[in-house]
This record gives sequence, structure tokens and C-alpha cells, in this order.
Amino acid sequence: MKLIGVDIGGTFTDVIYTDTDTGVSRIHKTPTTTNDPSVGMVNGISELCSRYGIDRSSVDHVFHGTTIATNAALEHKGAKTALITTKGYRDILQIGRHQRPENYSITQEIPWQDRTMVERRYRKTVSERVGVLDGKAYEKVPLDEEAVVKILDEFKQEGVESVVVGFLFSYLDSAHEERVKEIISEKFPEFYVTTSADVSPQFREFERFATASMNGFVGPKMKGYIQSLESRLNDTGISCDLLIMTSNGGVANSATVSQKPVMTLLSGPAAGVLGGQWAGKLSHHERLITFDVGGTSADIGIVTERGFAESSAGDTEIAGYPVQVPMIDIYTIGAGGGSIAYVDAGGAFKVGPQSAGSYPGPACYGRGGELPTVTDATLVLGRLDSDHFLDGEMEIYPEKAVQAVQNLASELGLGLYETAEGILTIVNNNMANAIRSRTIQKGFDPRGFSLAALGGGGPMCSIEVAKILDIPEVIIPPYPGITSATGLLTTDLKYDAVQTIFMASDKVDLNYLNQRFTSLEEEITAQLIEAGFDSNHISLLRFFDCRYVGQGYELRIPVESGPIDKSNASDIWDTFHTVHKREYGHSFLNAPIEIVNMRVTGIGEMPKIGDPDFAAGSHSLDEALVKVASAWFRADGELKAFDTPHYMKSKLPIGDVIAGPCIILQKDTTSVIPPDCTATMRSNGSIIVKIGGEA
Amino acid sequence: MVDTKKAIDPITAQVLSGALKNIAIEMGHKLARMSYSSIIRESNDFGCALLDENGQQLCESVNSTPLQSGPIPGYLQGIREIMAERGYDFKPGDVILHNSSFYGATHQPDCGFFVPVYYKDELIGFSCSTAHQLDLGALSPGSIGIIDAVDCFAEGLQFKAIKVYEEGKPVDMVWRMIRDNVRATDMVVGDMEAQIATCRIGAQRYLELVEKFGLETVRAARDYMIDYSERVLRHEIAKIPDGTYHSVGYIDGYLDSEDPKRKDLKFDVNLTVKGDDMIVDLTGTSDQVDDRPINMPFPGTTDMAVYLTIRTILLDSKKFGYIPQNAGLIKPIKIIAPEGTLVNPTYPAPTISRFCPGNALADTIMHALGQAVPDQICAGIGNLYMVAYSGMIDKKYWVYMDIMAGSSGGRYGKDGMDAIDVLYANTRNNPIEDIESHQPLSVTRYEFPDDAAASGKYRGGVGPIRDIEFTDDGGFSVEGEGQKYAPWGFNGGYDGTPSKLIFKNNKGDETSLPSKVPYKKTHPGETLEIVGPCGGGYGDPFERDPKKVLADVLDDYISLERAKAEFGVVIEGHEILWDETELLRSTHG
Repeated sequence: MKLIGVDIGGTFTDVIYTDTDTGVSRIHKTPTTTNDPSVGMVNGISELCSRYGIDRSSVDHVFHGTTIATNAALEHKGAKTALITTKGYRDILQIGRHQRPENYSITQEIPWQDRTMVERRYRKTVSERVGVLDGKAYEKVPLDEEAVVKILDEFKQEGVESVVVGFLFSYLDSAHEERVKEIISEKFPEFYVTTSADVSPQFREFERFATASMNGFVGPKMKGYIQSLESRLNDTGISCDLLIMTSNGGVANSATVSQKPVMTLLSGPAAGVLGGQWAGKLSHHERLITFDVGGTSADIGIVTERGFAESSAGDTEIAGYPVQVPMIDIYTIGAGGGSIAYVDAGGAFKVGPQSAGSYPGPACYGRGGELPTVTDATLVLGRLDSDHFLDGEMEIYPEKAVQAVQNLASELGLGLYETAEGILTIVNNNMANAIRSRTIQKGFDPRGFSLAALGGGGPMCSIEVAKILDIPEVIIPPYPGITSATGLLTTDLKYDAVQTIFMASDKVDLNYLNQRFTSLEEEITAQLIEAGFDSNHISLLRFFDCRYVGQGYELRIPVESGPIDKSNASDIWDTFHTVHKREYGHSFLNAPIEIVNMRVTGIGEMPKIGDPDFAAGSHSLDEALVKVASAWFRADGELKAFDTPHYMKSKLPIGDVIAGPCIILQKDTTSVIPPDCTATMRSNGSIIVKIGGEA
Repeated sequence: MVDTKKAIDPITAQVLSGALKNIAIEMGHKLARMSYSSIIRESNDFGCALLDENGQQLCESVNSTPLQSGPIPGYLQGIREIMAERGYDFKPGDVILHNSSFYGATHQPDCGFFVPVYYKDELIGFSCSTAHQLDLGALSPGSIGIIDAVDCFAEGLQFKAIKVYEEGKPVDMVWRMIRDNVRATDMVVGDMEAQIATCRIGAQRYLELVEKFGLETVRAARDYMIDYSERVLRHEIAKIPDGTYHSVGYIDGYLDSEDPKRKDLKFDVNLTVKGDDMIVDLTGTSDQVDDRPINMPFPGTTDMAVYLTIRTILLDSKKFGYIPQNAGLIKPIKIIAPEGTLVNPTYPAPTISRFCPGNALADTIMHALGQAVPDQICAGIGNLYMVAYSGMIDKKYWVYMDIMAGSSGGRYGKDGMDAIDVLYANTRNNPIEDIESHQPLSVTRYEFPDDAAASGKYRGGVGPIRDIEFTDDGGFSVEGEGQKYAPWGFNGGYDGTPSKLIFKNNKGDETSLPSKVPYKKTHPGETLEIVGPCGGGYGDPFERDPKKVLADVLDDYISLERAKAEFGVVIEGHEILWDETELLRSTHG
């Protein structure tokens, strides 16, 4: 199989090609075309194919990570969107949960009010209502179809592009929403249509309506993008199917994504976590913290034997809006190479979250930035080499970094090197706190994990961050700078089905559960078969979202396949107690448990990238040595300069234990190995760093 | 001020500040996730904090209600007083429960759990959580809407520094007594256990921090953070011109009472700025109501309403980012609150329903401060309603507490916030689909009224209408405010609109109810409707951008008629008639 993965970043579009039969992989970087990213993407693919003589018609799949929907959400540039909702509840989208984002602010923004996706004039109500009695839905008020048609007519006159249908309790009975959708497809096929039960059949009306509105808001843009991308690919001779990365760490075909673009809001970062997971697998590590550090932010993901961690329902949001769709649990903090260090009005020494970005960028870029950043501090300490910045392709100005850090040092009354180290200490601790919230605070001991250093910035700071958390080992993958593109070639097709049921453990209806699971599984299997998978390549996973009766938040627990009976039902409750205890540090063993949602995830197995081979370029350590220069590190409590060897990664000998301090150079990043650490290069190109000596 | 900068380097100080904040966030997150009653898990009516051995705050949870975290040091002070009087001591493994409103608690339902933390046998501080418990066995079901309590004994169980764990062992008899005396027993005890579990996590994290950095460093960081917070607040106070800023505000009290001492109650605020100090003098405020629970305990409610409002306005987190909430933010402010008044009641005055009066006090302080910093405040806020719904299913009590949103007034450069909790609290509503799935209630309407926003250059926020229908036999009680006195308009903005409470019987007959209603039995088909208050307008509406006025008309926030009469904007269909608008606006006096 021949696969292409394309990840589009802010500056570069990364393309990776792999032939799963021969194991050969090729990499190419091309500038991102911001206005229409599909142009840069197709350019990149064409350039790569031409350079390496790849027959375009031989490509079997193109995998793609996209930020089209994410950017539309973050920049609030979406379609003119309207909502049809239940009479009496016009403003659910505007009221939200009536809680302010900030406790102590008069001037704060309320995202769902200040940046509404559906203006009040386009929120119309119709007579209809589903009620609930003993957990079962019933039609309380029939749907007024005439009113629906009248409203749709008005929307058409107003130039509405996208119509969202959100009715109360539609997660239990979606007939009214479906009927409105039918009317639209019969009489107003020009509207982009989203129903709330279709994108998120779960309770909590504000969150469900917001998810549906987000889908409607970004939908037309995404649909247009995919159409233009497919036609460009066709024009260039690539006619295979296009698979888009979704937030749940799987891919979906272009037809599905055109209908549910809300699934792709974490497309890029999710690919990053998968890339980290792949890097871990190369070194046979199953428990990983993926740590992807860029210019302005760092993304953290957790991988265990069970795969990557997923967010709980209720924890997922984009642009201040709740978005209730399955997502990889990715925690993003505003800390990266461009984070600015400053002294605030109260005299505190802070770093970030403000970033110098690419323009003006860190002071050392010489683009007019005068404020000291994390990159400047790294340079001042000699941990970055000005001759080899981005493989020497970009000129940088160390004296400007020194000046910027010196200004801050004078303000603080500290020395230059002390201040530079302080900047790194503060930002590294901020990052460590973020990792703590995803590990220690969720019952995972980071000492049992490896840290995967990803992104251009990961290999520079990861080892210091690992030290703070007592993580014993850092993995630097073969190409840290193109982790996301690589990650795209490690995924499967993945579809989720969910159903809210509200069933307490002391009133379980086993027949109903078994019947519903079977029916959800049939539904998902049918989707996968339609996507071209045979049953040998389809696997199904079951989950419950549970809570103790009376609680308000659910935890996801895995459920074995096969019929649930009285004997194995108790395993489910035991699992929940265990997960609750791990997550919160406590369990209520005598309390009844409520199943809130049942979930089925269907996976269609895809071909994947093989292991890279770095053995061919391997030399001796002497040959890999580029130079020895002074770099500052803290050892035995003292900050001092070390004569630090700089090695070229591509020439490093395989398997040798290399002592820190040293700097390892490669095109897409620089790895900083402090004293008291050792680094070992593997034949697949990964560098394993052991903290505290032992290799 | 002592120069604490020297005792700790700024890098370590920043590292510890972040680590402490992280602990408090974890505590808050876990308590919200573990707890049972919606008042804690959905409305976030709880707080968590770490205190040092002297009771100074090291950190407080940010994902909770300010009114809960802020008073925690006061709780500890009360606990210490009682334990000293009674001759008790802290021991490792103890858990202390406290809720006495005359000893630091904000009011009785807010139960505080305190876990002393020891490092090498030395008491180094406390890990604490407070949370609004659903029921403490007061005279009617629930722990809100107890508006006819005549003294603190009628408000439910009083815990005065009671050890519920002694040296690691649960004190069974106390737990039995709690179980015997509260309604919705499993929920209340479950929430209490969640609070204790949260305190223990905090204690463990605090200890880990001390083990890693050393006690001296943690203490130095504490002093550094307190000084830091004090310094930033003083810096902002110093920018305000010296002088005294005066305001009065009124609350309904008991509008249906024949006793004039129970209604139309006044808050009198003289806010004096001198250099970087501030004095808030509440002399002139109405006398306490001896036998009705709308009095505000001074430590815990009155002081918090003052501190939190000033801090919100002067250190707005949108501009200032995260500022550690600690004793430093209190030091520059002195409060004078005469004993025997609403803002400093004396024993055994009841206080359980002091929430809404507290928000009105906060609003009055904002009004006074608005004269000094008009760009940093909002016009008058719409106050809240809280309703306790209850009944029996299979001989077991169910209790559900519903908090109704208020709204904020217009702001400098920005319209008011619609349908939000206001000022010193920040609760959250419960999803309709959750309520109807778990209680015999139906939320039959939840949306904004049309043409309700107060006029202003920046319009006031809109409060929603919320109708809840009983689908089975049950009962309710209400504590609310804001039916008589409209939220104030500011600087030429119009006043907002007060709230209304309406009871509808099976036949659809409507009865107006006052803002406080004692327990009332109900039958299926009966409905309680709250028409939310709308915040005041900010600035002269004739200066509002006509395009925004048009948008408001299209969005039904204001009517065509009001657009013309109050904003001077003439609209026909979807268009602004610019010539007529200009003419109308130019002749506006």
C-alpha cells in the first residue's frame, strides 16, 4: 500500500509518503498557503511525487489533518447560521449554563453571548415537545410542520446558509428533528442542515445545541474546502480516497466530515498525539506523555496500554463553546518557544502566555522583537546553536537575545545567566503543572511514564520538564518536527455511536442493554462496510459513561463484548468504582451507579507506516561531532558553563551511550541533553534519554 | 510592608505560586466531579483552599464560588476560638466540621471541613473545603428558602468545630446523628464524604510540596504572594482620587409583612479613599431583622461582599490575569459595620437567607465605586432567586434546589451580560433534560422576554423567564430579591426592570408572590414562574450606535417604538432611516 499523510501547520505544510510493502518513507516540507490551504497541500504532494518519482495513480490513500473547522471556530468566521428550536426555549444558546467564565471580572467576554454563532433573530421556535416519563420518551406536543415551513421560508429570504435543528430530549426521540431535516431536504435543499441528535445524541441541551450550532457554523466552509481539495487532487492525478483526521484520533471519509465537521476540531493536535504514540511504539513504550511544543503553545496527551486518553463528556470545548463529541484528551497551555518573559505590575517574574509568535518573534530573530522569549533564553545559555538554527537556513542574532535578557535581568536585579535560566525554570514548571493535571491529578504516576518530546520545541525543554516530574526517560522520535504528519499514517478509520439511557445499577434492564448494544454495533458496522471494510478488518469497542446516582459528571469505562448477564454485570460496577477511585482519589462503594450513556466505537483497520531505518547513515561519535562550545547548565545546585559537544544526529553511532551535557542537531529541531543524563540513538532514529545517568 | 522579595528569589516564588494554584484547581475539580447535589456539582456552590498554620490563605480554588473560598480563613478562626474555649486540640487524622455563622461561617448550610496538615509532627496548615449542603434538617425541606427561620436554631444543625474524624477514625455517633436529622440523607452524607476526600487530596499535595521545596521556602513564597497581591491592589487604589464616595441601596426584605422593620431595608455605603488605603463605612445601614434570616454575618458574608466587589472592579481578571486571592487583598481595606445592623447581626439572629442581600450590598458598593472609576463598573445588577423544590417518592425525601440567573448592567464599551450569576457569586444552572429525568418537575419555559433590555449607550443585560411545573405532589420555598427596586441605570442609562414571581394553579389562574415565600405545598400541574430582572443601562441611549439599535430591534431586545423614543433611532423594516434619526438625535435635549 502507498500512503500519503499531510499536516498543515501555520507556517509549513508537512507531507510524508510511505510504501508499506518496501518500508520506504519520504518527507517533504512546503510553505502553507493560508488563503486556501488545499493549494499548498496539493503542491506539496506534487513536489514530493516528482522529486522521488512516485506514480500518483499508485497512491492508495491520502490522510489529512486539517484546521479549517478549528480556525473558523477560533476566528469566528463561519456561515450565516439559524436555529429552529422548541417553543418556549428560544435562548438556550444565549443563556448557556448562566455561569460567567471568570469569577472576578466586570469586563469579561461571554463567548456564547459576545461571539454568538446564531443571532437571536435567526433563533425561531416551533410548537413541539418530547417529554420523559420513567426514563422513556413520549410525544408531549406534536410538531407544527406548517410553522417549520414558514420559518424556513423566512430563513431563505434572509440569506441564511446553514440551519440547525435542536429540540429538547431529541437524544431520546429524534423523530421531530428528523422530520424537519426531511422537510429541508425536500423543500430547501440549498441549506446546510445539522440536527442536534445527529451530531451529539446526549443529554444537556445547551451543550448539545451548541455542538450542533458549531457544526452548522463551520459546516459550509468545510464542505467547500473538501470539494475543492478533492477536485485539485483529481486534477493532479490522485484519485484515491481522502481520509480526514478527526478529534477522536481516527480518520473519517470526506463525505462524513462534510456532514459533521465538528468532529475535526482537534484534527491537528490529535495527529500529534498519534505521532507520539508511534514514537513510543518504536521504542516499545506503552505508557507515554506526548509533549508537543511549538512557538506559542504546548499540547499534552496521555497514552497508556489502553491507547490514548479521551476527554470526558463535559470537558470538551473550543473557542469557549462546549463541544460534545468524542475527542482525544489534549491539554493545551500557552507556553512555547515564543513565550515572552516579563515583570508584571506587582513585581512578579512571569513567562507567557503572551507569545512573540513568528512576527516579530523572539528578539534573536532580528525582526524587531525586543522582548526576551524562551527561545532567547535558550540561546543565551548556549543550548541553541546560532549556526545551526533550522539547519542553518535561518539567520539569528545572539547579541539581540543577550540584550533582551539583560534588560530583564537588570529589572529583576539578577545576573544574565541566572535570568535566562529563570525564564526556562518558570516556563518548564508551568508545563510540568499542566502535565501534572493530566497525570498525578488523574491517578497516573508520571514516574511510570516516558515523555515523548515532539514539535520543534519539545526536544529543547523536555528533559528539564521530565526532571521536575521525576519522569525517568525521554523519547525523542526520528523526526520530532513532523510528528503530526507521521501520526496520520498510524491511524484507523473510527466511528462512534452514543446513546443516553439513564439506568441505575439497582434497576438494570439487561435485555434492553444487550439489545441496544447490538443495534448500535450493527449501525456502526454498516457504516464501516459502506466505507469499504470487510468484517476481518472491523473491530468494535463498547463503553459506558457512568456516575454514581445523583452525581453530575460521568466517567467512561470499557465494557467487554458479548451479552451482559447478571454475573458479569458486577464487573462493570467494580470497574467504575476503580476508575472513580483512580480519577478522584475516592470511591463510594455502597452507592448505586447510573449508566448515563452507552457507546460503541467501530474501528476499520488501515495500513500503517513502518519503522524508519537510520543505521545506514550511522558513523562514530567523533565523526558526528560538529564542535564543542560553552553552554550553561545547573549541576549540584550551581549554574555554570560546560564545554558542551554538539553532534549531528544523522551521523550518531547506533547504540552508544552518549553522556550529557551535549547538544544534538538535526534539521527540524535541537535536542538539549543536560549533565547527569545520557542519550542513546536507536537504529530507527529515536533517541532515548535517561535521566540520572544509567542508560 | 516588609520586603519579602529578599527572602525568596522571584523564580522560586513563581514556581511555588503556580504549584499552589494547581493544587487548589485540582481540589475544586475533584469536589465538583465527585459531589451529588446539583448545588455543588452544577452550581459550583463550594470552595477549597489551603491555609497555613496561622490561617492565612496559600491558595483557593478558582473553579468555584468566590463567596465560598474567601471566607475559609474566617471559618478557621472560629474553629480555633471554639476549640480554645472548650479545651480541644488538633491531632493528626482529625477532620473538623464547622458551620456556625457566629464563628466565621458564611451561613449555616455552607459546611466547612478542615483537615490539619502535619510535617514532621509540626502543624503546618489546613486543607479545607466549604460547600452548600442540600439539607441540614431545618424547619422546611432544603437549605434555601428557609425564609421564616426565627433564630439560628431554626436553620438546621449547628456544627461548632465538631470532629467527625478523630485521629483517622470516623466518629460514628456524629455521623448517625447527621443521618437521623437531615432529609435526602444519602446525598448530604455523600457530599460531605466528597468534601473530606477533597481535603485529604489537598493535604497530601501540600505535604508533597513542602517535602520537595522545604517548609521555609513554602512560607517565604506565601509571604511573597500575600505581599504581591497587596501591592497590586494598593497600586490600583492609589490611582483613585482621594475622597469619600457615597451610595445607598435598598432591598425588598419581606414585602408582604405588616412589620415595617422587615421591609425596604437600606444599605448605606461611604467609601473613603486615602492614598492607597480604603475605608468602607456601612454606618447608616438598617438594623438587623431579629426574627427573619436575611441578616448577613459580618465575617463570611459582609466582608466578602466588600472585598470581592472591590477586587473584581479594581483587579478585573480580564486585565490583570490571575492574582492570588489571599490576605494581601484584604489588608488595604478597612470595613466599619456597626453591630446589630443587617451587615453585622448579633446572636442568635437568623442568617440563612443572606445570599441575595449580600449581592445587593455588593451592588451598592459598586455604585459608590462607580463615581471614582466609571469605566470599570457595570450599571445595576439584577439579583437572583433560589427555589427549594421537594417532595416524597417511595417514603424518601427528594430535594432539588434551582438557582435562577440574574443579569448585569451595561458596561463601559460593552452591553450587559444576559442571564448570568452576578458579582460575588458564580453559580450554574441545571440542564432541563437532567431536571426532568430525575425530579417530578418540568421546566416548561426558559427564554428571554422580548423588549426587556434597559436602554443605554450600552444596554443592560436581560434576565430570562423560567417556568417550572410540578408533575407530582410536592412543595417549594423561595428566597429571592429585587421585586421593588429596579437595577440602577448609570450615567444617563435607563434603570433596568425588577423581577416578578408568579404562581399558576391548575386552572391557569395567576397569583403574584413576593420575593420570599415560605414552604408551600403543591399539586401536579401547578407552575412557578420567575420573570428575571434586567440590569440597568449604561450611558445615554441616544449615543448608542444606530446599527446596534437596529440589531437589537431585529433581535427583539427592544421594540421599534422604544428604538425611536429612547434611542432616537428611526427604523423601518430592516433599515435605519438615517435622516430622520439624525434629526431626532440632534434635537435631543
